[in-house]
Amino acid sequence: MEERVGQVWDRWITKLAYQGYPEAAVQLDDVKAALGVFYRGLGGDSGLTISATTPTLHRARRNWLHRVAGTGSKVELAWYDERCLYLPQRLDVYPQADLNRELYFWLAALAGTPASADVHRGMNWLVDNQQRCLQTLSLYPGLKPRYQRLVEAFIARRDPAELKHGGQAAVLSVVYQALRDPGSVTQLPADDFAPDPVPLWLHPNPPRAEGLHSEDNGKDRDSSQGQSKEGEQRRRQAERVEKPEENGTTLGVRHEADLFSYAEFCQMDRGCDDEDDLDQAESIANDIDRMAVTQDSTPVASRIKFDLDLPSALEDDIPLGEGIRYPEWDYKRQVLLPDYSCIVPMESRNAKACDLPGHLQTTARRLRRQFEMLTNRSVRLRSQYDGDELDIDAYLQHRSARATGRGDDGRLYSQKRQLQRDLSCLLLADLSLSTDAWVGTRNPGEDCQVIDVIRDSLYLFSESLHASEDQFAIHGFSSRRREHVRFNCLKDFGETYNDSVRGRIADISPGFYTRMGAAIRHASALLAKQPAEKKLLLIVTDGKPNDLDRYEGRHGIEDTRKAIQEARCQGLVPFCITIDEQANQYLPYLFGRQGYTFIHRATELPKKLPQLYLKLTGKLLEH
Amino acid sequence: MNNLTTIDTSAAGSTAFYQPQGNEEALFMHAYEHQLPVLLKGPTGCGKTRFISYMADKLGLPLHTVACHDDLSASDLVGRHLIGDGDTIWSDGPLTRAVREGGICYLDEVVEARKDTTVVIHPLTDDRRILPIDRTGEVLEAPDNFMLIVSYNPGYQNVLKGMKPSTRQRFLSMSFDYLPSAEEAAVIVHETGVDQTIADRLVALANSLRELKDQDLEEGASTRLLMYTATLIAAGFEPLQACRAGMIEPLTDDAQTIVGLMELVQATFGTE
Repeated sequence: MEERVGQVWDRWITKLAYQGYPEAAVQLDDVKAALGVFYRGLGGDSGLTISATTPTLHRARRNWLHRVAGTGSKVELAWYDERCLYLPQRLDVYPQADLNRELYFWLAALAGTPASADVHRGMNWLVDNQQRCLQTLSLYPGLKPRYQRLVEAFIARRDPAELKHGGQAAVLSVVYQALRDPGSVTQLPADDFAPDPVPLWLHPNPPRAEGLHSEDNGKDRDSSQGQSKEGEQRRRQAERVEKPEENGTTLGVRHEADLFSYAEFCQMDRGCDDEDDLDQAESIANDIDRMAVTQDSTPVASRIKFDLDLPSALEDDIPLGEGIRYPEWDYKRQVLLPDYSCIVPMESRNAKACDLPGHLQTTARRLRRQFEMLTNRSVRLRSQYDGDELDIDAYLQHRSARATGRGDDGRLYSQKRQLQRDLSCLLLADLSLSTDAWVGTRNPGEDCQVIDVIRDSLYLFSESLHASEDQFAIHGFSSRRREHVRFNCLKDFGETYNDSVRGRIADISPGFYTRMGAAIRHASALLAKQPAEKKLLLIVTDGKPNDLDRYEGRHGIEDTRKAIQEARCQGLVPFCITIDEQANQYLPYLFGRQGYTFIHRATELPKKLPQLYLKLTGKLLEH
Repeated sequence: MNNLTTIDTSAAGSTAFYQPQGNEEALFMHAYEHQLPVLLKGPTGCGKTRFISYMADKLGLPLHTVACHDDLSASDLVGRHLIGDGDTIWSDGPLTRAVREGGICYLDEVVEARKDTTVVIHPLTDDRRILPIDRTGEVLEAPDNFMLIVSYNPGYQNVLKGMKPSTRQRFLSMSFDYLPSAEEAAVIVHETGVDQTIADRLVALANSLRELKDQDLEEGASTRLLMYTATLIAAGFEPLQACRAGMIEPLTDDAQTIVGLMELVQATFGTE
């Protein structure tokens, strides 16, 4: 009973203290797509994705209600770094939904407008934001009335005259002046507390995770594998701390745990924690202000599951040769790092020849029929203006039309046309560990993993392309840092598609990471050697490029983008098929809006595959 | 001939307005004088066709424009026998007509046409300058004032469409791009009569849209679309409405992209 009363009180007081307008809230997810277009159109960095920010502590004065409710100490503000533009997950600053929506666009404009020389990011929050406002408003005069509306509605929420603390009232008045007349204020009056956060401005001091994206020092652990959906969308503040000594007394730790909140508890050594309750850990992570992370050479339990070490030579696939070196793009320095990554071609050790799996038989049969239509053969086109033979039907029709006094356009011939297609296709499949994830049901009652979808895709592609008699090759890739980019040969260009190829496809298994750039470069090199006139590079993947080192994040995206551009320069046509639901955030940047497609289940493939292939290879029957 | 679009422009009339981008005029004159075929590359609506009309006017040549499409075959260009009441009549295609009469034959977006069309134009592009017509047994020799021009947009991605190097190397080539902002605005003012501020804002907006090419849009806003929009504004339409109809809707069908782009239009033009 006591607990229940407590809960009701907490809910009531929290609601009472809350200063937003939840009924007029606008969610970031609802405006994200349009915001992205707007932000890039203003000149914002097209390599950034839009992501939800995390609440951060501010040191402004809280009112008594906040103090009673224990809320109001955190705020979600907009900021950006080299990877993302972070915006609040939802905005309910104003009682009108359209103003909250406009605020999103205003924040995107503020972050997207190219900063003038006067803006020194992070140097002086007050001056900085005013300069940005001036710059944005002068470049986009259409934003002026909207900005004024946002400012006036914001100011109308609170009258400085009502504030009891003189210092706070003075600060607020000056902030209001800076909002109304950007550029007019250079300094705030002195006050014991920090000024109230201004939701119309960018974050004064973006939380940065120092050392998290350090250079390839051999110790970094990838953080995206196995991350939850929300985890991908929200950014958490983190700081590197020294790993606590493991020989500390366990007793002491337990006592401290009783005394402190879980935020502090989290700062203790969890290196040996088995972490069974991941859901709880995640909700705790969402609540704490600042997470402490440490580098440790011993993988914890959850990491051991991800099998970071290479299998023993006896178990592993057979490496072919010493490896082939490829450059990698360093976007920060805008240079290609020569011979940076090493491709290791591999051949399956345990693959056994096998037939096509039963559940694909019907689909494969249908696809084969469709694709057989595309083989290089001749067709006879009737009712043509020109041709090698007279089309008797058309001629009779023409005669009767004439006899009855009707006119026609005189298409009296039939024409034999050779359907020639000179096409090579290389299919590159992502075999990284992330494909180990479960994605849904393939058949009723049968759950399937990403790797199953990829395996089915490979089967169906092969069956189709085999039927259409196009030249094709299939390769898979995964990586473990730059020195070990595994490139599994499933079918070479010269090879016939047969049971042993099917066996190799059956044998694919997820492992390691996704160093996509190197794999694309190697695949491009293989494809470029083909004599065909048109060369198609299809990439089947489930997510972003990433690896254990700095390849995770922007570096990987930019390197992959560079590799795709290089492929285009060689006359290849790259196209991506993805299973990642978040793909529309970064794939347009990599492949262009027309350069990728999203599939969710293998069961969608039969429907999408012929469409896709025909779209890619043009209206073949017409040429 | 119902699947063929040709526009024959006579040399008479006032010279079309054209804003030079570089030394393309001198190059073109040289090509004409030395009877070299010309290939124009560049994005949609950047002024390729306008340039050809301008040069045709300037040289006093008839202009035969063929908008190529994926159904266009060699006989559409050369001509065919049409069957009448009891007899057949040979009918010249636009290419044959241009070779017979002299003038400029302009094959717009040539890569869209069927592959057999390139076979027809090859003998016209080398020093023989002939057009053999199998059906009639004729071999036409191009007169001195005949000129073959083709254009294409290298930005389009299609696996099966592209220009073969062997064809590309038969032409003197020029690349076209959108005009620098100030000049593009000047063209818009000149052509549509909108005031300078509107023209400047339109060009600024178009430049933003061009930045979105490949990621959010298939193609950036062309000068032609700017012109349409400016015409609407000059006719009294609200700038937001004009931009939507003249620039945004023609560029994309994606609802969210349209919302984002309209915010951009509003940021540029906002008249609330």
